Formats: sequence, C-alpha cells, structure tokens
Amino acid sequence: MTNAPGSGTIHFKGTDIIIILLAVLLCVWLYFSLWFGQAIGKADTLIVQIDDQSPTEYSLKNDRLLKFNGRIGTSLIEIKQGKARFIHSSCRNQFCVFHGWLTTPGDTTACLPNRISITLKGYASEYDALAGER
Amino acid sequence: MKPLHFVTTHEDHRIALLAALAITIHIIESAFPSPLPGIKPGLANVITLFCFIRYGWKIALQVSLLRVVISSLILGSFLSPTFLLSLSGALLSLLSLLLVQWPFRHHLKYQPGAIGYAIIASISHISGQFLVAWYFFIPHPGLFKLLPIFISFAVLLGLVSGIITQFLVEPHKASPE
Repeated sequence: MTNAPGSGTIHFKGTDIIIILLAVLLCVWLYFSLWFGQAIGKADTLIVQIDDQSPTEYSLKNDRLLKFNGRIGTSLIEIKQGKARFIHSSCRNQFCVFHGWLTTPGDTTACLPNRISITLKGYASEYDALAGER
Repeated sequence: MKPLHFVTTHEDHRIALLAALAITIHIIESAFPSPLPGIKPGLANVITLFCFIRYGWKIALQVSLLRVVISSLILGSFLSPTFLLSLSGALLSLLSLLLVQWPFRHHLKYQPGAIGYAIIASISHISGQFLVAWYFFIPHPGLFKLLPIFISFAVLLGLVSGIITQFLVEPHKASPE
C-alpha cells in the first residue's frame, strides 16, 4: 500500500489487509467456539465399557451415581447436568478421577487397572469408520 | 514407422515447466519434518498462486493437478489417503481463489494481491483437507479441537508464501516481456 509494486519491498493492498483481518477474526472465533464453546454439539449419552463386555449406554439427562465392579474393585461414576466423571475408583494412580468432568462428545477417560472406560457421545459422533470408537 | 509427433503450444511448455517446478518443491518439502501432521510450509502452492495471478485459473488448475498426481506417483502415495487429502486441498483452494476473484473480475484495483490470495488459498487448503480427513478417516468430534491450531498456522504460513509469491509476481510486472 505504501510502496509501489515491483519496488522489491513487501506491500499490502487494501483488500489484502481486509483479508488478513478477517482471517485473524476467524482464528479467534474458532478458538472461542471450538475450545471454549458448545460448537461441536452437546453430549447426551454416556457409554461405559467394562472389561470385554459389550458397552452399555446411559442417558445424561438424569443425574445419578453409577457403581461398577471391575477387575480390582469398584468404580463410582457420577452423572450430573449432562456431564460425567469418575468420583472414586479402587486403583492406585486415580488418573480417571483426576481427569475430572467429561463435558463434550468424544471426551473419554478410563481406569485401566479396573478395565473400565467411559466416553461421552452426542448426535455428532454417531459414525466412526476408522477410529473404532464405541 | 512414422514417429509420433505432437504439436505443442507455447502454453503447454509453460504448464510443463511450472508443473515441474511445483513437483520439485513439493517433493523437497515432503522431506521436511513437521510438528503436527498436516502442517507444512506449502511452498508448492506458491507456484499455483503465481499461475493463478499471472496466467489465470485454467493454467493454475492444470499445474496444480499435475503437481498433485505426479508428485504422489513419485512419493508412492497415489490413490492413498494422503493423495486424497492433497487433491481435495488443492481443488478447494483453487475454487475459493476463484470465488474471491469473481466479484472483482472487472475491477483489478479491488482484487486481492498475492498476500491476500495466499492466505485464502492456505486457509481453504487446510479446511478442505480437514473436512475430508474428518468425513472419511476420523469422524470423531474431538478432531475439531485441532481446527483452530491448523487455521492459525494456515494464516501464518499463508502470509509467508504470499510474500514469496509477491516477489515472484512483481519483477514480471515491472519488466516488459
């Protein structure tokens, strides 16, 4: 804009500046909507897989506590306001408990010693070809 | 037996030359390590942009299709998922370049410069790849958490390739052919 074309310096046309501004705005919007928003849909189902049994689904609509028996003991899972978490597990590391709330579809955590894994599912995660999510 | 004889035009030679350049850059670039699968400088796109700005979309389309097909044959990824991603990115970025240029086709003054085109091309390139990857290979909603990172890199790297394209395009503007 300030230098003549062909002068060997970097210069921006007015349209370029508009495009750069729009691109930066798009980035900011994407961070807010995809990282902190609900743009990828709301989770409505909790899928619990215990050992090699087939997975069971629980609705997230009703708040409740679920108790499961795994390989080494019991795991307690809480469903509250469309979210889910491990609140107790009889394993040593407690990774599953420290993971905290699962909030969006696709969020997964597991208690490996106890062989229990939980995943949230929403309408957006109905299909999964290669990843083999259940 | 009469030897086969093809009549080639000046334009064919130009396409072949530019495609060869783009393929070379593409293959050199594929050897670079990248921090995240899918993020790379996209320097081969500089050639496509150069074609688009200097010679129009038809030549740009031919050059970029030749680039995608031949470099995938050389790298051994022809018809593989990588090839599909590469192709969809290339096609979508050209399409969006056309869409941006179309409203201003009679108003050269308002058309974006090389930098604007490059940013549009890189954002749409990664978006095309992302959508294909999400739809066909990893249809998991968690994938969308990566999209902001991809788009940020696309803007940055698009700016860089736009500046390179600008240096490529403009000496021609100044000197008579």
